[in-house]
Amino acid sequence: MAVQTSSTEKDPGRWARKYPELGQEPLPVSPYIDPEYYEKEKAKIFKKEWLYVALEREVPSPGSYKVRRIDAADTSIIIMRGKDNVIRAFHNACSHRGNTVVTEKGQETYGKNRAGVVTCRFHGWVYDAKGGLVSVPQEDRFYSCFDKKDNGLTEVHCDTWAGFIFVNVDPNPVKPLNEFLGGYADHFGGFDYDTCDHGFTYHTTLDCNWKVASDAFAEAYHVDTIHAGSFPNVFEGAIEDVELFGAHRTCSVRLQVENLPQTPIGDLANERSRGSLAAVGGASTLPPTLNPNRDEDWGFELSVLFPSVLLHVSEGIWFTHQFWPIAHDKTLWEGKYYLKKPRTHSELWGFERAMVLQRNAWLEDTATMEDTYRAMLSGAKKYQHLQDEEILIRHNCKVVDDYVDS
Amino acid sequence: MENEMNVPAGFEALRSFAKWNLMTADERTAARREASTEELKEFYDAILPHIEAVLDECDKFELGELPESHRGIFNIALSMAEIAPHIEFYKGDPGVPFAFEEERFIAVHGSDETWQALPPNGPR
Repeated sequence: MAVQTSSTEKDPGRWARKYPELGQEPLPVSPYIDPEYYEKEKAKIFKKEWLYVALEREVPSPGSYKVRRIDAADTSIIIMRGKDNVIRAFHNACSHRGNTVVTEKGQETYGKNRAGVVTCRFHGWVYDAKGGLVSVPQEDRFYSCFDKKDNGLTEVHCDTWAGFIFVNVDPNPVKPLNEFLGGYADHFGGFDYDTCDHGFTYHTTLDCNWKVASDAFAEAYHVDTIHAGSFPNVFEGAIEDVELFGAHRTCSVRLQVENLPQTPIGDLANERSRGSLAAVGGASTLPPTLNPNRDEDWGFELSVLFPSVLLHVSEGIWFTHQFWPIAHDKTLWEGKYYLKKPRTHSELWGFERAMVLQRNAWLEDTATMEDTYRAMLSGAKKYQHLQDEEILIRHNCKVVDDYVDS
Repeated sequence: MENEMNVPAGFEALRSFAKWNLMTADERTAARREASTEELKEFYDAILPHIEAVLDECDKFELGELPESHRGIFNIALSMAEIAPHIEFYKGDPGVPFAFEEERFIAVHGSDETWQALPPNGPR
């Protein structure tokens, strides 16, 4: 009987049955291509919600800072650890005439100042890690209405969870981060992200809407076709363990263990390291919430941390895709893959092979995005059809709509 | 310079592949993309019998302390990691088939000397 129950549970449409409120109808293409819809997303999501901007270890000691550009919120943010060890976040905007205080070298800029201050290059205004304006050259030439104490950096909401730093640029009071994360925090909070302190990062800028890019990674339906090269028949099964947590969502991606490719270099790399997703991994680093039944075919958890982070966790591995909207038709994608620090040259070599294969898979993933977007712009198709395995995308469409209409 | 690669005793056969003695991921990726299928295949077939011995030899040293004498063979092993999927999965195609434009993918760690095993994410 158990087998029958199980097969009924796996009948097509199971996620729609689990989450009937998401509906089954085709969904409109317009939110992907309409510039006005994007302006609403900026105002109601990216300027109102918590955004993951850094890891705590990226600002490791007092005086360390990171500047993260957030085009979708029309700002860049200084995230700085103070002498009191508290991490605070501020708009990177000088109180004088609005120059960026820290000169940015790109989307992510790192720095450290032993005195725990940042200094604007333009006229040398100095701010401490609590945002206070501590020095203004030629201060006596400003008028009596100017007071340093009223002209610190503009602070933004900043909080942390499991080593992740989030900011919220809404100038008004906001709901706490733990409330925003809700059950997602319980599901993922037990993994020790900090021990994976090695890894690699790729990025590129794509001519497409951020949701086109995010959607392309948020289902496993494409793996058969898109990853026929790098992961042949490895992840071709159905997703499992779909859970929605408010605006966030997760599922597990399964390995076809019997299809795992056996090749000389691939096998050797997997023998000497745990770096690749395309190998049976075990569960020594997994909290009970991830792969709860310790199934051998559990490959990794694929989740969406709303609005635009995909967080994946596997045995000894975690990685993110982050989609930073730059305009309605332009998106910065960043893929960051974290592994435990290698102990030997063999392990480092195995990681290199895992990195290469993962990069190649990401090259396969990103191949569709600009094409999809161009086709959407044609106006030929007003609707997209999502199947049950694409339930995470359907959820995103609904959540984004809810925010935009709020 | 590249053709005068130093190798530890026993690895003299790898000298003829000094072209693949490349320190950084960016250099290895570029070299792989510029190579022909025949060249990749020749490299793969020639290095495969040595790869375990190369790794075992390098494992005699602490990570981050690989002597200059061994960096060449380790770099060749890293080139093997770069090239292997193209032989084992992509039928010898020097590019990734049906993929995004590789030159638009930026590797943040791409100019690191890989043997140093630097943490590529975050501040240096």
